[in-house]
Amino acid sequence: MADEDEFERPRWKVWLVNRFVLTPVIILAIALGWDLYASMNNDGLVVGRVIDAQGDPVAGADVALWIFNFTTFNENKHVTSGPDGRFVITGNPSHHIQVTAQKPGMGASPRVPIRLYFRSQNVTLKEPLVLPGA
Amino acid sequence: MVTLAPEVEPARRVPFAARKSTRQAVLIWCFLAPSLLIFFLYRILPLAWNVVLSFEAWSPLRPAVFIGLENYEEMLTDDVFWEALLNTLYIVASAPVGIAIALGLALLVDTDIRGRNIYRTLIFLSYPLMTVAVAIIWRWMFDERVGLFNYVARSLHLVDAPIPFLNSFTWALPSVIAANIWQMLGFYMIILLTGLQNIPGNLYEAAEIDGANAVRRFLRITLPLLRPSIFLCFVIGMLNSVTSFDLVYVMTGGGPGRATEILVTYIYKLGFVQTRFDYAGAVTVVFFVLLLVIAWAANRLSGGNAGAVERD
Amino acid sequence: MRRYPRWPIHLALILTSFVMLVPFYWVFKTSISGENIFNYPPSIIPRDPNLFYYVDVWYAIPFARYFLNSVIVTVLTIAANILLNAMAGYALTRGFRGKTFVLMLFLSCMMVPFQATIIPAYLITAKLGLLDSYLGLALPQFSTIICIFVFKASFDAIPASLIDAAKVDGLSEWRIIWTIMMPLAKSAMATNVILSFIWSWNNFLWPLIMTRSPEMQTLPLGLSRFLSYQEDTTGALYAFCIMVLAPGILLFLLAQKEFIQGLTSGATKG
Repeated sequence: MADEDEFERPRWKVWLVNRFVLTPVIILAIALGWDLYASMNNDGLVVGRVIDAQGDPVAGADVALWIFNFTTFNENKHVTSGPDGRFVITGNPSHHIQVTAQKPGMGASPRVPIRLYFRSQNVTLKEPLVLPGA
Repeated sequence: MVTLAPEVEPARRVPFAARKSTRQAVLIWCFLAPSLLIFFLYRILPLAWNVVLSFEAWSPLRPAVFIGLENYEEMLTDDVFWEALLNTLYIVASAPVGIAIALGLALLVDTDIRGRNIYRTLIFLSYPLMTVAVAIIWRWMFDERVGLFNYVARSLHLVDAPIPFLNSFTWALPSVIAANIWQMLGFYMIILLTGLQNIPGNLYEAAEIDGANAVRRFLRITLPLLRPSIFLCFVIGMLNSVTSFDLVYVMTGGGPGRATEILVTYIYKLGFVQTRFDYAGAVTVVFFVLLLVIAWAANRLSGGNAGAVERD
Repeated sequence: MRRYPRWPIHLALILTSFVMLVPFYWVFKTSISGENIFNYPPSIIPRDPNLFYYVDVWYAIPFARYFLNSVIVTVLTIAANILLNAMAGYALTRGFRGKTFVLMLFLSCMMVPFQATIIPAYLITAKLGLLDSYLGLALPQFSTIICIFVFKASFDAIPASLIDAAKVDGLSEWRIIWTIMMPLAKSAMATNVILSFIWSWNNFLWPLIMTRSPEMQTLPLGLSRFLSYQEDTTGALYAFCIMVLAPGILLFLLAQKEFIQGLTSGATKG
């Protein structure tokens, strides 16, 4: 500890700039920051697009959300893709989900697994769901 | 020892309760009381209770019945008990191996090389960790399918088929011992390092001037003066290996069969899986006696007298 | 000065450090590996690394609860330890009738390891009604003899002249302890904190015996329960292992010197 005679260092600074105080403070700051980020982005939105084998958007495809439950996936929500092939699923409660799209006559897309960093994280699919159909 | 100059008070005229010496004594005993209570509750009383249990037939529903030496008779014919005892002795006998390796490491780290503190930290890292986690780590390392040891052995074509380390009667106990040594190595090294650093350097210089080579210096100066540290390592090492419940329970659970069953895991299973508190008490008594014998043996191994160095 | 080449020493020590660190790396790489971990041959560099197993573990088991339990029990233990051990250590520096008896008692208690007392300790705790409670978890570790002797040695080292001067100034016994002796026993306190932290945080057998409900389980217990949870082909168990080890490693790296000093002084003073 600094000696007040030799070294003019304010007491509070000695107490603060000390690895035992800095480390918990930094960890706490990171944890709070993460918490804040998570609470701002956890509306459970899953946004994506459905296209067909030629790359054209598919409207009216039925998109299903599957939620992982210990060992299996369970179907949970269904939405329909809009005219531009976009779909938005709201209220995803989980961190480990799959989405799949299908349309009668155009087949079904493979199941796309999505892993999230926290429950109900908002996510936008990078790759669109591809229907193989005719 | 801190003592106060005694106050001179005419004892007759001051009542006992108000005397300073009495108040001091009361204060001292008040200070000692909580610790004494804890030790009484959790060390002395259990020891005595174990002995009492060992002579009874205990059941949670009926009051206990005195049955004399029946529990001990059962122990004599109990194969599991003898296997557990043997395994415990094997583990104890492995402690010196770890200490010898640590001695070598301590000698290396004690030299004036750069970064010795880093080496010291890296080697010591394993000791303060949770033994349960260490057990899981080593369980994975010894895994039959994809463990590191099997991978290396098969890649170097030392063996054709994977060795089921934790499932084989010959390899299970050595695997547990290896994990234990890995964890304790840093601890032994630190103790021996402290002992090494306490040896005055001029002894070595004087010996060098007298013409002693490195081996002689080691045998005649280092080893004898390290005796207290070696004794400490022995005692702590043997105590640790005898009581390594966490490691055995998580790594192998005592199996395969009873190949890695040690006395403490057997006591746990008897008491809390089979609820045979009376027989478990008897095994605990034997376990405690074994501990005392081991401590005595450690004392003898490091030259007697708790490893104290005789100065002449 | 001894003249010998340095590089063999470095080589030997680097090899040893490698051996000591490889298990950590092996488990870490398993915990982030994205493939079936039972594929042979195991990859040295993890294929398809991802952190999602940590997320899985966080939501699958009550990690926060286990962590909290461990923290509460450990803090309780450390606080009680410092108080009781300092008191007993101070008492042992004074002369009093029966001191040798008490010293002998303490020394003999050191020979009794915890594992030799588990069954009666369980019965006693049950009788006290403390099963499945934080107090019951912490109680057996409230005082340790090694730390008492560490405090005693530290108090013994305080020069008598200081105490006498304080007495001449009219300070009472209690005030002497708090204002003079405790500040000078800082290293003994640090040793005590570290030793009791290690014993309490890593304690597995006592919580295993004592806790009945899953909410009271501590971290080591939670980790070993997870072993039998799911034999799946992902590295979730090893992610849990790393999560459990991280606080311990972090604390050790932060307080290395105090750790090593504490362990050696605790061991040698005993």
